[in-house]
Amino acid sequence: MATAIPGDLIELLNDPAATKVLATVDEDGVPHLAVKQSLYVDVAGRLVYTELLESSRSNRNLVRSIWFGKSVSVIVSGAGGRSFQVKGKPVKTHISGPLFRKHYLEIRSLLGDVDVAAVWIIEPQEVIDGSYAARSAEERAKFPFFDHLDRLVKPAATAA
Amino acid sequence: MANLNLAIKENRPLSRAEVTEKYPDIPPLVILKADVQRRGVHYSEAALGALDLELHATTGTHIFGARDGKIAARPESLLLRDGSSIITTPTPLELDPYLVDLHEGRPFLFEDGEPVEEVDYWPRPDFYDKTSSSGTLMQNVVSARPQRLNIFPYRYCTFWNNGNGCSFCDIVTQMKKGKEELGIPARLDPLEVKEVVWEALLEPGRYAALFLTAGSNVAGKRAFDEEVDYYIEILQRVGELFSVPKIPSQLIGTAFDDGQLERLYRETPLTSYTADIEVLGEELFNRHCPGKAEWIGYKEWKRRLVRAVDIFGPGRVNTGLVAGVELTSPGGYKNEDEALARTLEEAEDLASQGVSTVYIVWSPRPGTAIGDQKNASLEYYARLAAGLHGLRGKYRLPIGFDDYRRCGNHPDSDLSRLHNF
Ligand code: SF4
Repeated sequence: MATAIPGDLIELLNDPAATKVLATVDEDGVPHLAVKQSLYVDVAGRLVYTELLESSRSNRNLVRSIWFGKSVSVIVSGAGGRSFQVKGKPVKTHISGPLFRKHYLEIRSLLGDVDVAAVWIIEPQEVIDGSYAARSAEERAKFPFFDHLDRLVKPAATAA
Repeated sequence: MANLNLAIKENRPLSRAEVTEKYPDIPPLVILKADVQRRGVHYSEAALGALDLELHATTGTHIFGARDGKIAARPESLLLRDGSSIITTPTPLELDPYLVDLHEGRPFLFEDGEPVEEVDYWPRPDFYDKTSSSGTLMQNVVSARPQRLNIFPYRYCTFWNNGNGCSFCDIVTQMKKGKEELGIPARLDPLEVKEVVWEALLEPGRYAALFLTAGSNVAGKRAFDEEVDYYIEILQRVGELFSVPKIPSQLIGTAFDDGQLERLYRETPLTSYTADIEVLGEELFNRHCPGKAEWIGYKEWKRRLVRAVDIFGPGRVNTGLVAGVELTSPGGYKNEDEALARTLEEAEDLASQGVSTVYIVWSPRPGTAIGDQKNASLEYYARLAAGLHGLRGKYRLPIGFDDYRRCGNHPDSDLSRLHNF
């Protein structure tokens, strides 16, 4: 079931200064992580990823995912500790046609003489806010026992 | 599971869903592709209405014909979500093809009235509507798949001169149609080919390979010299466009002798070589490919393939099968288990010597000697794909020159996308 990425997170994902990491899984279930700055969100709210190398692990793992319905994850981290994770499913790869050509031209104008193997479309299935503030509030609400007591002491409290 | 068990108990051919369930390691999209190739497609009026002649490639300069015998503007072929092509032919409705119709405004494959998978029509190359300096429409000189340029230098095969053409082949009928109905030149001018390839290469990111094939031509001082000379001439002219001596390219030709193979490699930018044996097993080869048997012979065909590995390198030579003809009568294997075992045994003999085997799904065409027979079951094609892919894994044979992107017509080589060699 597709899910929508909130507007502020789309902004972060589309920020070229943010760090974006794509996590895929190989045939033995071992995660493979790679920084992929070419990730962004399209107008339909799907992740778009331009793969430069046909033989890369990420590309092979994406093929495995589209063939066998497996998920991939993307972690985005920006300024001020803002970060979130999107779990999604690769639903399409473009190897030819207008979208492929657009990305081929764009990435070559940015990076010079590079090749493009495929443009992957990943449909978001779940969005997890990974910022410390958001995760900590969530944990405190859900797991009230998971806390160190000294953190709960009144600032002005004394033994007397 | 219930249906699968029942099908096995009833000993009937498995449906696509049942094959998918029984072989969970074969990607469902690859199974679907093989089934669509096996059964063909029929385009609904709505699907044809969605065909945009400016954006999509339509049926054009095929060297072989369609299953319904027509030449009309229809999508050239289909692209699946995983980037692989389904090269398939329009098929009469009474043969139970998949229907291509619109679902939520997009082209989909339909089976039993249900949408099963979205498809895209192949994008139209920029050069198709231009004309060459001789005034020929460029799409009638060179054609294209989603990422490959096709050159079909001529459209005849001298094996037909004494009626020894292959049992599944309609090249001659197709040549006549192409000439009469589309104005395709019977023989291409190498300089014109170069001109069109140059124009094609102006489209950024479109082509990842150059491909050449024609029928066999026995003429020459040594048999097939003229065929080789002509390929060399075209490849040399095209090669002049590139800054590197070798380019990603494939030639499907006759099984040439050592000297001819060496010339092809040494004198041209060609990087891979294919000589289609069509069917594995000497008796079947003699029966279905009498011209190849007459001029070269089964054992020599295999020997020449192996020799080509010394010249082009391991992982650069393969042979193609028209899978399914080995089960036709008279003379075919009695059942699919036997056909699979014998075919894979022969393919392994080749793989162990560096030659890959790929298959296309045999598409029975009107006007051919076995055009009224049926191709094999989907389960057969799925097992054959897994078997040939497995041999490439066992012998570590790369198939990058004939994979989902460079060719797109082989369910078995689609599977190589997960290989890391
Ligand atoms: S070799 Fe056989 S399949 Fe190829 S063109 Fe000649 S007759 Fe047809």
